[in-house]
Amino acid sequence: MEYLSSLILIAVGAAIINNFVLHYFVGVCPFIGVSRRVDMAFGMGCAVTFVITIAAFLSWVFTAFVLQPGAPLTAWVWQTFSPASDVTVDLSILNYIVYIFVIASSVQFVEMYLRKFFPPLYKSFGVYLPLITTNCAILFACLMIMKYVSGVTGPEAWDLGKALTLAIFGGVGFTIAIVMMAGIREELDHCDVPVPMRGAGITLIVAGILAMAFMGFTGVDRALANLMK
Amino acid sequence: MKNDIGQAWLVIVLSLLFGGALAGVQAKLQGKIEENRLAETLSQIPRLVPGAQSGEATVLAGRSVYRAMVGERQVGWVLLAGGQGFADRIDLLIGLDVGVKTLTGLYVLDQRETPGLGNRIVEDAWRGQFVGKTTAAPLQVTKAEAAVQSEIRSVTGATISSESVCDIVNSTVADLRDELAAEAIRE
Amino acid sequence: MAQQDGPTPLERFINGILPENPVYRQLLGMCPTLAVTNGMKAAMTMSAAVAFVLICANIVTSLIRGLLKPHLRILVFTLTIATFVTIADRFLAAYMYQMSKQLGPYVPLIIVNCIIICRCEVCASKQPVFTAASDAVGQSLGFALALASIATVREILGSGTWFGLRVLPEMWPDWVIMVLPPGAFLTLGLLLGTANWIGSLRAKGSQTSQEG
Repeated sequence: MEYLSSLILIAVGAAIINNFVLHYFVGVCPFIGVSRRVDMAFGMGCAVTFVITIAAFLSWVFTAFVLQPGAPLTAWVWQTFSPASDVTVDLSILNYIVYIFVIASSVQFVEMYLRKFFPPLYKSFGVYLPLITTNCAILFACLMIMKYVSGVTGPEAWDLGKALTLAIFGGVGFTIAIVMMAGIREELDHCDVPVPMRGAGITLIVAGILAMAFMGFTGVDRALANLMK
Repeated sequence: MKNDIGQAWLVIVLSLLFGGALAGVQAKLQGKIEENRLAETLSQIPRLVPGAQSGEATVLAGRSVYRAMVGERQVGWVLLAGGQGFADRIDLLIGLDVGVKTLTGLYVLDQRETPGLGNRIVEDAWRGQFVGKTTAAPLQVTKAEAAVQSEIRSVTGATISSESVCDIVNSTVADLRDELAAEAIRE
Repeated sequence: MAQQDGPTPLERFINGILPENPVYRQLLGMCPTLAVTNGMKAAMTMSAAVAFVLICANIVTSLIRGLLKPHLRILVFTLTIATFVTIADRFLAAYMYQMSKQLGPYVPLIIVNCIIICRCEVCASKQPVFTAASDAVGQSLGFALALASIATVREILGSGTWFGLRVLPEMWPDWVIMVLPPGAFLTLGLLLGTANWIGSLRAKGSQTSQEG
């Protein structure tokens, strides 16, 4: 029960209170670039959620079992090669390189999957699908997982469930933000925006107002935690 | 296929080169980084337990605690504590006397509270309220001036941040009180 | 004089600062621009880190540009950039620990910063080392300029300080919203609009002088 409540807190936190786009500023480039139409925005949001989940799963596995100081697999390999030493092998310097390769592979995998099973969707994405690799939100999710897994012991350390919850609901939050923005921009198309502000300028102003609105959710996780205690 | 392998040699060579460079960086800097992390906590110990000169890290009930020492004699405890604040997690260092009877200091390690409001829990004046409070009764937050010994005046406009700090202090002390009293190095 | 295909080093350098400014003109690298600009110190540390990674990555990419195969080149860029970002991150954690904690996850996010991949792709993989290096220096200066402009506005209005030194009188009620996320979006949006407006004025000015 306590585990479930901690999962709910992580989920609500990632999706709404500390929204990836409006609070942590990750994923802003596609947020501004792809949010012209609601259907495209929703598709992008779903693709990002899919990629984040796969990437988070693989990152957690690599961090927990190979990269963190004292990781089981590395320790076992080290023991077989030099049984006498008691040095803790710490491969965490390779964290970022491993994460970015995991992300690039996840995007490749999703690309192949879409091309095979949803060809029209794959076509409509065009060049934006490989660009998901440079979406900060995915690397950010991996970094959050690293913060709570690498070198952390005891009840504070995140297991796979918590990591996946953060990833999925981070993607959900990104989707919520980008779909909202697309809806607003579709309306803005009919408005008389001053020429210098057209495009990115007015989008950022709207994003600022959205961020202000989402600030109102601060403290909800604390109240939720008290409710579930 | 042969073409792909032939083209992959560049990636392999680069990986080896970069791997070597990173191993060098790791060897040179890791010690310094660990030092920084520890120094942040250890440097606060003299301020949290008056008279203490050094700290010794140990683990009690799965949590990080530090003995505040003067030479070989233990003069107090410093506990690493954390919990949910208003906006995000708050991490604290709590200073206690050896018998875990009074609080001797409070230091905020990490917080992301609202700037100008909840942020003010880091101010010396507010944290100074905790010095000398007994651990016999849990601390309460009040918006007016503290009337009773166990009351802490909240930061104006940031009641929840103040309450969070008190909750963290109360629960940490309650959790570890017995173990700490038993483990203290007596003369 | 060797044949230069593409812009000369000097042109690359000057272009990077204002005409092809990475933030205001190319709209790249917005994540760090919004995240670390609530104070000048953090903003300048971030631009120094980006400068280091950009210059090193450009030089290395330019050195191996003859060996790059088309479909492995993004992989090679990413590997190079990730290595230099790790070095920069470790260096910050060792020698500027508090600043490293403040910048948090945004230093490793330089890996997916579009500016660096874009410059490797557009310039470093096609032009000699000196051109690539001057391009990197120019773009870094442009990035630093952009970050400084936003950080100045946010820090002065939001905390009344600049680089930590008090510049506004004590009675100024700090516009706390400026150092929070909404302030970042609003400031960047307004400054972007201003940059576009100034750009259009200059274009109109040169147009009338051409017609006249």
